[in-house]
Amino acid sequence: MTRIQSRVTALMAVVILLPSLYGFAGKFLEFVHIYRSGGGGEFAVAPILNYLLASAGFFCMLLWAAWNGMFRDMERPKNEFLDNESRLDAGVRAPLFRSHP
Amino acid sequence: MTHGASPTDRAAALPTHDDLVDERIVICYYVAALSFLTISMIAGLLMALQLVHWYPFKGVELLSPGRWRMIHTNAIAYGFLANAFLGTLHWAVPRLTFHTVASRALSWFIFVAWQAIVLATAVGIVVGPTLQDRPWLLAAAKAWHLPMSLGAQGLEWGETPFWIDPVALVGLALVAVNFMVPIGRSRGPMYVSLWYFMAAFVWTFLTYAMGNLLPEYRVAGTSAGAIGGLFIHDLVGLFVTPLGWGLMYYFVPILLKKPIWSHGLSLVGFWGLAFFYPLQGIHHFLYTPIPMFLQYGAVISTIAVELVVATVVINFFGTLSGRGQAFFDNLPVRYFYTGMVFYFITCFQCALQVTLTFQKLIHFTDWVVGHAHLVMFGVFSLWLFGIMTYLFPRLLGRPWWSRSLCEYHYWLSAGGLAVMFLDLTLAGVFQGYYWASLQPWDVSTNGSQPFWITRVFAGLAMFAGLICFLVNLWMTARGAEATDPLPARAAGTPAA
Repeated sequence: MTRIQSRVTALMAVVILLPSLYGFAGKFLEFVHIYRSGGGGEFAVAPILNYLLASAGFFCMLLWAAWNGMFRDMERPKNEFLDNESRLDAGVRAPLFRSHP
Repeated sequence: MTHGASPTDRAAALPTHDDLVDERIVICYYVAALSFLTISMIAGLLMALQLVHWYPFKGVELLSPGRWRMIHTNAIAYGFLANAFLGTLHWAVPRLTFHTVASRALSWFIFVAWQAIVLATAVGIVVGPTLQDRPWLLAAAKAWHLPMSLGAQGLEWGETPFWIDPVALVGLALVAVNFMVPIGRSRGPMYVSLWYFMAAFVWTFLTYAMGNLLPEYRVAGTSAGAIGGLFIHDLVGLFVTPLGWGLMYYFVPILLKKPIWSHGLSLVGFWGLAFFYPLQGIHHFLYTPIPMFLQYGAVISTIAVELVVATVVINFFGTLSGRGQAFFDNLPVRYFYTGMVFYFITCFQCALQVTLTFQKLIHFTDWVVGHAHLVMFGVFSLWLFGIMTYLFPRLLGRPWWSRSLCEYHYWLSAGGLAVMFLDLTLAGVFQGYYWASLQPWDVSTNGSQPFWITRVFAGLAMFAGLICFLVNLWMTARGAEATDPLPARAAGTPAA
């Protein structure tokens, strides 16, 4: 990964994560207050649970991926994939149109 | 594979394309997908004709527009998109993992079962309401405590009758097993496409179960509305989007002969989608009795997803950098990048229309219909057309019969869609202002007529594009002599 790619990746991660986490944390606290006051919080339990269960599952997957070294050499898979594709298509000639060279 | 083996031995030990991919099933899925797309577009045209008072089947109960509107949306989601995605996955997953699907027999069983599910859904939607009041049905419903609705379920995009839902869920579970086995067998860091595919198999099953079972059996009223909102949007974001993006990450580098700009950034996009998408569906129900903190949460998560989308778009345009000529020369690449431009527009729209201020104007108007067509046809259907344009010559073993018909297909589809989108967006703004100024309902429907007439012709253009594609495919499959050879420079560039 080049330096500019690392910087763009880090910048985008920060730009996405910080405001989103801030928003979610604020709304989650609001939810907890409403739920405790008994003013209709139970009403929203189904969608909240739906979100939390889905996110918990993906958080576990993220940890599993990190533990198994999926993010150690992040740019390697893109090159391996293209190498494998050209190996699979070695010798294959399938032009889209008759006039294709 | 042994560590001491030479590179030549290792290459020889790797499976070949023929070992991995069953091309017949890919063709069958594509034929089924195009058949359902034809039905869906005819149904859409019928609905468009109804709005301009030109409906050709007035008074025919089985052809009533309300029922055929549901055929239009369901045939696109479960008939065209699902079949086309499944066919393409049978090509991409084994090649990405170097392992075949869990079972080829299971693949064929799923193919047949899925067509039966989609056809049964269509029959249920069209015939179900007609049979609804028959005494034998009322007696059976009473005896077995069944839900009364034999026809469509009361859930937007989840109208599959209740008696099909368990079978569809079993089908989705089998799809997940069939593809997760080769993914599980692959070793080392995974390419981003596999992350997207893996997530889609899990998400689609869960989304379908949530949307079709919870409102039918467990929750009611506004809570069911909240679940319905999640279902509609999750079907787009957690079924169609991950498969679409996964396939773009697969095909774009192959066609451009260049790796994706940043694999790290692509993973940021994937995990961003995973964490921010699931809560945003409630933005369909702003200003409803659903608690405001949930509505605000949906707005915030939607805006977060737009930032995620920006990473994906940046990544693909970064990949195109230095290969820009491919957009003009290579038809599949043109389909892909046209879809990406439409995707960026639709997501930009999303960030605007989820704000409460904007919702006041556009809620329930044709703006939303234009938005839906932009994403489902302008993005995902164009991508799948591009993939089919690239793969059919490989699958049939001969080039396209006519390049001109391929070009007509592209221009009529993309152009017709662009006109329809702009037309419906404008119609939505007019309708919003009519309603906001408290004018009688008739004023808004009369004022919408020019837009709805334009929409009919835009739809006809898109349908004509599909006819071009089908004629071209038929002639190519028959092995007819190719027509209109163009200079070599203008032809597409499939994998060499």
